[in-house]
Amino acid sequence: MSTLVSLDITDGIARVCMRRPEARNALSRDLITQLRSTIEALQSRADVRVVILEGDGKSFCAGMDLKAVATDPVAMGDMLRALAETSLAIRKLPIPTIAKVQGAAIGGGCGLMVVCDFGVTHPEAKVGYPEVDLGICPAVVAPWLVKKIGAGPARAMLLLGGTMSGAEGYAKGIASHCVPLDQLESATMALATGLAKGGPLAIRETKRWLSVLDGSNDDAAIREAAEISARIIQGGEAQERLAKLWRS
Amino acid sequence: MDRLISHEVLDDGALHRITLRDDTRRNALSQAMFDDLDAALAAVTTAVARRQAASCVLLSATGRAFCSGFDLGACVADPSMMGSFLQRLSAAVRCLRSLPCPVVAAVQGPALAGGCALVTACDVVIAGPAARFAYPVHRIGLSPAISLPTLRGHTGGGARTVALEPEPLDAAAARAQGLVHEIVDDPTALDARALAVSRQLLSKGPQAMASIKRWMNAHDGSCDLAALDATLAASVATGSSDESSAMLAATWAAMQKPR
Repeated sequence: MSTLVSLDITDGIARVCMRRPEARNALSRDLITQLRSTIEALQSRADVRVVILEGDGKSFCAGMDLKAVATDPVAMGDMLRALAETSLAIRKLPIPTIAKVQGAAIGGGCGLMVVCDFGVTHPEAKVGYPEVDLGICPAVVAPWLVKKIGAGPARAMLLLGGTMSGAEGYAKGIASHCVPLDQLESATMALATGLAKGGPLAIRETKRWLSVLDGSNDDAAIREAAEISARIIQGGEAQERLAKLWRS
Repeated sequence: MDRLISHEVLDDGALHRITLRDDTRRNALSQAMFDDLDAALAAVTTAVARRQAASCVLLSATGRAFCSGFDLGACVADPSMMGSFLQRLSAAVRCLRSLPCPVVAAVQGPALAGGCALVTACDVVIAGPAARFAYPVHRIGLSPAISLPTLRGHTGGGARTVALEPEPLDAAAARAQGLVHEIVDDPTALDARALAVSRQLLSKGPQAMASIKRWMNAHDGSCDLAALDATLAASVATGSSDESSAMLAATWAAMQKPR
C-alpha cells in the first residue's frame, strides 16, 4: 500500500498530511485507513504538542472518494464507518488540532476541518456539505457541526447542501481563521507555535472539559450516524444520483 | 487604603455600578481586589434580594485594562494562592450568574484569564474598541476549565476556539463568537451606552427578568453547580501541578525583566 498519509514531527508540532493530490485528497478507503491509524498513533506521543491536519496540493480534501467504489455499496458503508472512527480519533487527541484548509474542504473533508479545534482557511476556499445534493446523508459529520456552530445554523447548512466560500465559512463559524492564501502557512504555524507553548497537562484538562461539556464523548452517537449514512448510501436514491453524477 | 473597587448605587437603588479601579496593577485580581469584589457582590446580592422593584448590575473598569487576571506575583510568592484565587473567582462568577437581575459588563480594555471569566458571568457584554478577550493561561500551566460553563453559555461551540486560542480576540472577533453583544466604536461613549442599556433593562418586569435568567441558566448549563464544581477542581488541579509552578515561575521572571 502506498503512503497516502505522511507524518512529520518537528519541535512538538505534528503535521499529518493527506497525499493524494491528483484526486484533491479525496478520502479513498486506503487514505482514510491510514489517516485513522496515523491519528490514533499520536494519542500516546508525549512529545507532540499540536497537530496540523493538511492536504498536499491545491486542495485540503474533496470528500469521500465514492466513485472508486462505485459498484460496491458495502465498501461505501465501510468508508463511512472509517470516517466516523477517524473523526472520533481526532476529537480524542489531548492536544490542540488545526486543519489547514486550502482549496476545497467538501463533505467528509469539511467534516475533518470542523472536528478539529481550529480551521484555518482563505477567502476563496470552497467548503461545505453538499451531501444531500447527492442523495447522501451527512450524519457522521453533523454532530461535529452542531457542536461547533449550534443546532439552528447547522440545520440550515446541512439541509441546504451546496458549498460556500472560505470567507462565508469563516463568517458562519465553521472555520476559526481566514487569511489570504499566501499567508495560510505562516498563520497556521503562528497558531501552532503559540499553542505548543501551553502546558500539556493544562491543555489536556481544557480539552477534556470542552469535550465533556459539548458532548463530544458520545461515541455511540457517531457510530450510529455512520450506520444511518451507510444505510442511505446503499439505497436506490443515493445510488441513482451518484451514478448520474459520475456519468456526467 | 483606597478601595480598589467602587460600588455606586444609582437610580434610587435600582442600578448597582461596580467599577474595578486599580490601574497601577491593570485591575489584577489580587487578594485586596477579591476582598473588595466579595464585599461589593455581597452588598449587591442583599440589596437586590430585598428590593421589590427592578435591579440591574453594571460591571465596569477604569484604566488601561478591564482586568488582567490573577495577581501572578502573589501566586509566585505563595503557591497556595492560586487555589485560593480560583475558589474566589468561581464564587464571584456564581454570584453574578445567580443574581436574579441582569448583569451588564462594559469592557473598555483587555479582559484576560480571570478577567475574561468575570465577563462570561455577565448577561450582556458591551465592548469598546480596545477590548480584548483571552485565556493566556495554558502558558502558565493553568487550565481555564473554570470558565468553560459560562463561556459556553455565550459562545456555544466557539468556546473550543476561544479557550485554546493563544492570541487575544479583539471586540469584533469576540462578537463573532457571541461573547460580545455590542461594540461601541467611540471609547468615550462606552460608559454612557452601558448605562443606557442598563436602564433599558431596568424598564422590564423584574419577576420576568429573574425568571428568564434562571431559565436560561438552566438551559445553557452556565449555572450548573456540578459542572462549576468539577471545572473549578480541574483548574485547581492544573494550577497546583509541578508543570504550573515551573511555567509560572518562568513567566513571572520574564515579566520582571525591564522592557
